[in-house]
Amino acid sequence: MSMRWGDVCSLEEEKMAGNMKDEILHDHNHDGIDRRGFLKCMAWAGTGAFCVMQGGVLKSYSMSRIAEMNPENVRGEFSFVQISDSHMGFNKAANPDVAATLKAAVDKINALPARPEFLLHTGDISHLSKPEEFDGVEQILKNASAKDVFYVPGEHDVLNDDGKEYLERFGKGAQAGGWYSFEKKGVHFVGLVNVMNLKAGGLGTLGREQLQWLEKDVKHLKSSTPIIVFAHIPLWAVYPDWGWGTEDSAQALSYLKKFGSVTVLNGHIHQTMQKVEGNVTFHTACSTAFPQPKPGEAPSPGPMKVPAEQLRSVLGITDVNYVRGQHALGVVDSTLA
Amino acid sequence: MASVIATAVLSFGGFVSERMSLAASAQEKSASTAEVKIDNFSFGPAAITVPVGTTVTWINRDDIPHTVVSTEKVFKSKVLDTEEKFSYTFTKPGEYPYFCSIHPKMTGKVVVQ
Repeated sequence: MSMRWGDVCSLEEEKMAGNMKDEILHDHNHDGIDRRGFLKCMAWAGTGAFCVMQGGVLKSYSMSRIAEMNPENVRGEFSFVQISDSHMGFNKAANPDVAATLKAAVDKINALPARPEFLLHTGDISHLSKPEEFDGVEQILKNASAKDVFYVPGEHDVLNDDGKEYLERFGKGAQAGGWYSFEKKGVHFVGLVNVMNLKAGGLGTLGREQLQWLEKDVKHLKSSTPIIVFAHIPLWAVYPDWGWGTEDSAQALSYLKKFGSVTVLNGHIHQTMQKVEGNVTFHTACSTAFPQPKPGEAPSPGPMKVPAEQLRSVLGITDVNYVRGQHALGVVDSTLA
Repeated sequence: MASVIATAVLSFGGFVSERMSLAASAQEKSASTAEVKIDNFSFGPAAITVPVGTTVTWINRDDIPHTVVSTEKVFKSKVLDTEEKFSYTFTKPGEYPYFCSIHPKMTGKVVVQ
């Protein structure tokens, strides 16, 4: 079913229409908010909507109506945007111009009704760990409305000398292995590195040193502190046959059991996927460079070619909104189309 | 008379040994190289058996970069983009499991006899 922008409806209209679909967003609030209608809208539009939690109510706005929106109406406590897998340097058939699609992602970010506080890049910034590739991404992101960018590396970013180039550029203030944490408006962010020292036949790995650091890092935080963990390879077993998982993530998550709200943001798989497990919501982002097949739907997880005119509809950004006191973050994916 | 025969025998012997060494070196040439293609996130063939002294060449035909890294740290390629190659000559018999350090689920083995 194809819907044009003008057809995307608001939550209220959907409720009246009585159209329900399976929920795919996270709701462990049990606060009676009807997200189903909203999600159906999102699915129809294909390009997503901007959504924000305000005073416990999830409100959604079509991206096509951005120009009409009053920024006050769409502000939560703060918002940030996750981008991922820019693969600067990639130039094969699946996308001969990854710089152009990254620029389109920046345009999308700049068109958001509320300026995001910062960007999170969940890795595979470069394609071959080359200095000019990292430069290229940093240059393009300088044009984003959000000036701060927090990075974690993907396996493509640490190809030479144990990730020396990446660590020199983005490892300042981080632990030696590149992991780190920071606070923003009472939310605790943790950037993890699970792409170093990969073993033959293995998955992503955090390693003992990083796990020990993580345990200490969150030990003394109040359990009401919202936690956001970001890392490149998914921290849950999306599809182990393709290496889409992290072998020691269970241990990391065990340190986060006491927290009421944990959100895990990952990349690597070049498509969006969600999973809720207890107090933890997992979410993966699209790539800004090229899509990859769904688990098992191709012989291998390589770049997936789509007709040129469809490319931007399978690439995207993720907008995350936080409202104090709410357990669930508003997480919205939108494509570059 | 005897000396003539002797010379003939020597020449014949020389000719035969020359033929044999030619044959031997021809065998060495065909045994001395082997190729592994990297494509679709896999090594093909995943397991090969070669004689001692063989130079194995890996060539990346995938549209994604890969590496060839011995699990016992015997050899390690740089990152191979599409069409790039890596070669290693196996001088000792044994089993040499390897993998792609970027996509560790990709594994292969060279058996040298």
